[in-house]
Formats: sequence, structure tokens, C-alpha cells
Amino acid sequence: MLVCVVIDGVEVPEAGGPPIDHAGELLLRVAGGDQAAFAGLYDMLSPRAFGLILRVLVDRSQSEEVLQEVFLEVWQSAARFAPNKGQGRSWVLTIAHRRAVDRVRSAQASTDRDVRVGLRDVGVAFDGVAEEVELRIEGQRVSEALATLPAPQREAITLAYYGGYSQSEIAALVGAPLGTIKTRMRDGLSRLRVEMG
Amino acid sequence: MNEKDFAELAAGHALGSLSPDDTEALEAARRQHPEWEHYLTADAATAAVLADAVVEVPPPPGVRAALLAQIAASEPSGEKSGPDQVPVEQTLPPRTDGRTSVPESKPANPKARRWRTRSWFALAASVALLVGVGWGAVFVSQQLNTPASVVALDQIAAASDARSATAILPDGGEATAHWSESVGKAVLVSDGLPTIADDKSFELWFVRGDEAIPAGTFSADDGSATALLTGAMQPGDVIAVTVEVAGGSPTGQPTSEPIVAIATA
Repeated sequence: MLVCVVIDGVEVPEAGGPPIDHAGELLLRVAGGDQAAFAGLYDMLSPRAFGLILRVLVDRSQSEEVLQEVFLEVWQSAARFAPNKGQGRSWVLTIAHRRAVDRVRSAQASTDRDVRVGLRDVGVAFDGVAEEVELRIEGQRVSEALATLPAPQREAITLAYYGGYSQSEIAALVGAPLGTIKTRMRDGLSRLRVEMG
Repeated sequence: MNEKDFAELAAGHALGSLSPDDTEALEAARRQHPEWEHYLTADAATAAVLADAVVEVPPPPGVRAALLAQIAASEPSGEKSGPDQVPVEQTLPPRTDGRTSVPESKPANPKARRWRTRSWFALAASVALLVGVGWGAVFVSQQLNTPASVVALDQIAAASDARSATAILPDGGEATAHWSESVGKAVLVSDGLPTIADDKSFELWFVRGDEAIPAGTFSADDGSATALLTGAMQPGDVIAVTVEVAGGSPTGQPTSEPIVAIATA
């Protein structure tokens, strides 16, 4: 029997050229109920999304569950993707990050993660990122931009985004007032944006 | 709230680090100040770029298979406007525990819905799904006393829109669904089905949206069976098999996890 993959011709090359929003184009088709486009979108972005979820959650089986929730949400709410408000890729990765963080928070409610364990992550989170990013040009750009930030800003952003820590946890971790953490995130993100063009 | 505070909340939100109180404050301020929306858009885009610094990890294939089966059984929100047509999950706010929730608002068939949300996740781990197009080699009997299932297989094979898809069973068996929209019939050919007690039957289901519609029972001969699904199949149905009491589930709803689920879309 002839077995073929569902995506059939939907696979879209990701690299190079002008910034065509391939993921965004697929999302528009997904919003219309196109299952092949959904499979194509999954094949394109699931390794990136899974890597991100794993980074935040660490636990592999929970990460698999969250990945599935993420793409189910993508399927169900693709109609809300607005191409004029951003790239499809960002839209999907934003959902992935939010769902991973939601899971961390709910897991926390039962385990009450110890902030002292978290303190060790301050170094680990960033070093880990720094060594991994060389694998990708795009990642290198992010890594270099992060490296230009003042250490307190980089720390706040890294702990929040890659570590899944809340602002009040980060304040406790680094021993700074909550308001200071908020300002560091704000300034750090603005600066990152400038650095990355 | 002033603009600076809003910009700070937008940054914290993009990084996923706001407290529930701050999230509420941000949402309230958004409604009052739509002109500040650009902070959220810009910060979300910047934060998403941070994802590029993380190594890609290919997820296990079971997740893909489960998702494709799941979406085949549900519609995206699309442009549908009627409240009845919006998938139930769609109407619910994102849950902080991250799990698909069981709706309480619609009393009809709560059991069926619970079954579905649980079962597709369970299935992900155990059943690999291959979707095939075209027509596999099917044994078509030439006997006089041809069973209805074989007659149907014959009709499907002759149709120009014949399709088939195969699922691998957890124990290594195989189940292949053959169907044709123009004929309006579906037949499941299975091999290597698990042995079940004498007071049990295999029951077939069309899983349509969040409903499981009974489609007849069958028994296996040495693990093999060719079964015609009763009732009309609709495009996008998932064909599933559960083990039920002999004669089929008395409630008309599955009472166990499916051992086979095949997406037909």
C-alpha cells in the first residue's frame, strides 16, 4: 500500500531570502481548516517550540504534553492570528512560551520551588544558552545582543524567559526590589530590540 | 496607570513573568488605552526572538500523530459565528494548569466528551498513525455468500475516490480503514487484534467533533477481522475501536480507551 506523509508539498523552506512569513501564510490556511497546512506548520516549528518548552520545563514528558496543547491551541485559535501584528513564527512561539510558563506555575503551586535552587540557575541559564546558541546564526545574533546588556538586565530577562521565574521570584533570587526588576526587564527588552535591529 | 508603568508591565508580560494581579492590571489598562498596544506587540516580538537562542529538539513522532488525529476530530475556530459551532475548548479561557478542560456548561453527553479528551492523549503514546492515499492490496472474496463487509470493500475498491489509512496497534497488529465518500461506506480490516474475553466485543465508532457515534460491533477470528462500519461516514470522521461488553456498550458511549484510532482526513 502506498503510504505517504500528510504534508504532501506543504513543506516550506525556512531559511534565506527576504523575510517572507511562511508560518504566517500557513496559519492563514490553518484558520480555514486546512489540515495539511497544520501538519506543515507543525513540521516547521515543533522542534523550535519543543526546545523552548524543554528549556523552561526541563521535564520531558510534561514538555511533550505542553507541546501538544500548544499546537492544539494553534489549530483552534489560528483565526486570531493577525498578519499585520507580527510574524506567524513569533505568534506560535509566544503561545509555546506562555503554556510552558503556565505549567511551571501550576507545578510550583504543589512543589513550591525553592528559590535557593533557582539562584544557581542564574549562572546556568545564561551559560547554557551561550554555549548552545553557536549552533544557529539566528541564535548567535540573540546571544550577542544579550551579551551587550548590563548584567542585571540580562539576568532578569534570562531568569524570566528561559527559567520561567516570576518577577517576584526573581526579586527574591537576586535580592532587588520588585520595582527594580520590572524596570530592568523593560530597559533590557528595549535595548535588545535596538541591538538586534 | 501611566505609560511608563504600562510599558513595564508589557515587558514583564512578554517574558511571562507577571503576577496574576499585574496581569489583571495590564488587561484593564489595555482596555482603557488601546493606543499603548504597540508596547505589547513590540515586546512580544522581541521576546519571541529569544526562542532562537534555544536548541531545536525534535519531538517524538507520537505527538504529531496524536495531534493530527485530534484535529481531524475537531474544527478550528475559523470564521464560524454561531455559538453552537464554536468548539467547546475555544470558548474557555486558557487554563493555568494547561490541560484541556472538560466543559460543564453543556449537559449533553459529558461522558463522550470526557472520553475523547482523555483518549486522544492516551493514544498518542501507543499508536503510530500512517495516513495513506491510494488503494492497498485488498483481498476481495469471490464466494457466493459474500459477507456485507466484503461486498462493501469491493464497492470501495471500485470507486475513484477510494482511500485507506493504516494504524499500527500497540502489540504490533495492524488495522487499515478503507473508505470512499462517493460510496459512503467504510470498512476496517484488522490483523493482530488482542484476544478478548468471550463476553466482550470490539465496537466501532465514528468520532465526529466531540461525539463518538456507535458504528457496530465485530468479533475477531484469530485476531483478524473485516468489519463494515454501520451508519454513514462523514468526511473528517475518526474511525475508532474500543473493547466493550458483548453486543456493544449499553449506554451507546465508549467505556474504554480506544485500541485503534484512524483519522480519515
